[in-house]
Parts: sequence; C-alpha cells; structure tokens
Amino acid sequence: MASKISLKAKGKAVKGTEERSAEKCVKEWSNWAMKKAKVIAHYGFIPLVIIIGMNSEPKPHIYQLLSPV
Amino acid sequence: MGSSASLAAAPPPPVAPPPALPAGLAQVLPQKAEEKGNGKGAPEKVDWLDLPCPVPYEELQREALMSLKPELFEGLRFDFMKMLNQRFALSHSVFMGSMEVPSQSSDIIKVPSSHYEFGANFLDPKLMLIGRVLTDGRMNARVKCDLTDNLALKIHAQLTNEPHFSQGMFQFDYKGKDYRSQFQIGNNAFYGANYIQSVSPHLSFGGEIFWIGHQRKSGIGFAARYNTDKMVVTAQVASTGIVGLSYVQKISEKVSLASDFMYNQMSRDVSSTFGYDYILRQCRLRGKIDTNGVVGALLEERLNMGVTLLLSAEVDHVKKDYKFGFGLTVGE
Repeated sequence: MASKISLKAKGKAVKGTEERSAEKCVKEWSNWAMKKAKVIAHYGFIPLVIIIGMNSEPKPHIYQLLSPV
Repeated sequence: MGSSASLAAAPPPPVAPPPALPAGLAQVLPQKAEEKGNGKGAPEKVDWLDLPCPVPYEELQREALMSLKPELFEGLRFDFMKMLNQRFALSHSVFMGSMEVPSQSSDIIKVPSSHYEFGANFLDPKLMLIGRVLTDGRMNARVKCDLTDNLALKIHAQLTNEPHFSQGMFQFDYKGKDYRSQFQIGNNAFYGANYIQSVSPHLSFGGEIFWIGHQRKSGIGFAARYNTDKMVVTAQVASTGIVGLSYVQKISEKVSLASDFMYNQMSRDVSSTFGYDYILRQCRLRGKIDTNGVVGALLEERLNMGVTLLLSAEVDHVKKDYKFGFGLTVGE
C-alpha cells in the first residue's frame, strides 16, 4: 500500500515536472518567436511599405524613389 | 467622424421628416411637421433609435487638443513629402535643435541633437501603412486595416535597437450603429478596453478599463461628451485620480476658443489652459496660455503651393525656459 502511494506520488511529481517543462518550452519558443518577429518588423516594415506602394496603381517608376522631383 | 462633421457643417434645417416611416404616413407627417416648424420654430423630433455614431474614445477631446496642444518645437525643422502616387508617398525630415531630457530636479536639461527621418506612407481606404525610421535606428510603425465594414485593426509599434525599450500595441475597434468599442493589447502585458455610446443626438457617455500585468495595476475611467455645432464640452474622470474637463467654442468658421482644466489628485496638481485657433485662408495660428506660466504659439503660413512656413514659440516664465523654432514643410 505504502509503496503504491509512493509510486503514485512519484508519478504525480514526474507529471508535474513534465507539465512545467512543457510550459517552459512554450514560453521559450514564444519568446524566441517574439524576438524574431521584432527583428523582422524592425528591418522589414519599411521595405514592405515601399514594395506595396510600388505595386499599387498607377505604378511609379524606380527613379522616382530616389530623385527629389 | 461625428463631431468634426457637425462642427464643419451648416446648422441643420429646423424640420427633418422622420426617416423610417411607411409610405402612407410619410405622405401625411412631413406636412404636419412643416406647419409646426413654420409656426413656432419647434425643435426637431429626436429619433431615439437612430442616433449618430460617437467619436472614438481616444478622440473625445480632439477639438480641445488641436487648439491647446499644438506641436511646438525648438530648433530647425524641415519636412519634405513626395507623392509618387495618389496613395504612396515618401517623406524626408530633418531636425536640428535641442531636445529636452526629463530630469528629476526642477532644472531643465537640454541636449542638442539632430536627426534625419525617412518615412514611407501607403494610404488606401482599407489599409493604411505608415513607417518612419530615424538615423539612430528607432522605427515607428503604424498599421490600420479595415477587416470588415465595422471592425478595424490598428497596430502601433516603436522599435529600437536597445533591448527592452521597444513598445507595441494592438487595437481592435468595433463600430456599431450608435456605439464604439475598442480592445487593446500592448507589450508589458497591457490590456485595455473602452466603450462609448450615444445617448442623445448631442450627448455621449463612455468608459474604459485597463490592466497592466507587470505592475499589477488596473484602472477605470469614465467620460462624457456633449457637442453641438458651436461647442463641445467633455469631462473625464479616472481612478488614477485625474479629472479633466474641456470646453471648445466655435465663434465663427475661422475662429475657435478652447479651455481645459486638469486636476491630479495624487500629485495635487491643478492646471488650466486657455487657447485660440485661427484658421485663416493663408495661415493657421494657434496660441495658448497656461496657469503654469507657459505661453505658446504656433504659426503655419502657406507661402506658396505646397510650401508652408512654421514658426513656433514657447515661453515658460516660471522655469525661465524659452524655446523658439522655425521650419519649412514642402509637399502636402
């Protein structure tokens, strides 16, 4: 009986640590994803706006991007 | 939408036939209403089921803020906006001057700084993308997307190269027939929601709650706005101990006067501001005077097609801080 209870307790403890490490995993992955998303947004947002703008009608020319006229 | 349209439009005709009536009654009732109107100038009948949509909650004090908080600056400012397309524009902006560094003591610390800012705007009726990047790597991005007719998503992000200094905020706006609601999610576990409802053609009430996760702080606030064609009165109370009232009176098409009162219970701070806004054909002049001893003015003069001269002045008599700035804006 005592051994069954202790086995059950150990089982719960193992499951508990497994759940906690799953939570940690999710947190770590989401942190990593947020960091990558921040870097992508930081470098890529303005090029994205320029690409969307250059493809809108009427299509402007490439030289208009650089010349001040 | 609601109040700026009402301030700009002419006063409505004294009689308006009710909109949603079956054909038979509609034949009869407008005549009756016209007779009444010609006789005594009776007030128009309020259709309580067809109230106008209120202004968004964050624009509650829009008219007061336009007059009383103009963008005063110190130094030189040069903005150039180049339209490549009806929707797509690039902007270049140069600033040279002193920026104020917030300090704990009452001394003003100014640091001379200069920066060049490059920006790209894409404005579509359904999608708006605005991005600005500075020479020190800071980036400011705004996205506004109309997911459906009534639901809009707004994203505002300020990203820096330094870690832990970036901020981002997502806002979901839902516009109903005579109400608006908004839900916000920000970084540092910030959650907020607000709601505003029209209760009469001129009066609207609203409330907001927010929760900051990291500091376990929450707050609730209430707001009310009464506007007619000629004036706007707003009041805001928040559980952070701030009470704010504002009153804007439109004297004519060109002139409007505004005043604002703010009381902060935590820091026992009271301040009041009075200002004016002249919108003339060639220029726009805004000035304000404060109970903290600050006098400021901003002049935007249109010199030519697309060229605007900016002159800004802010004098703080109490702290002996004098700021003068001039600038030029080229392009729309």
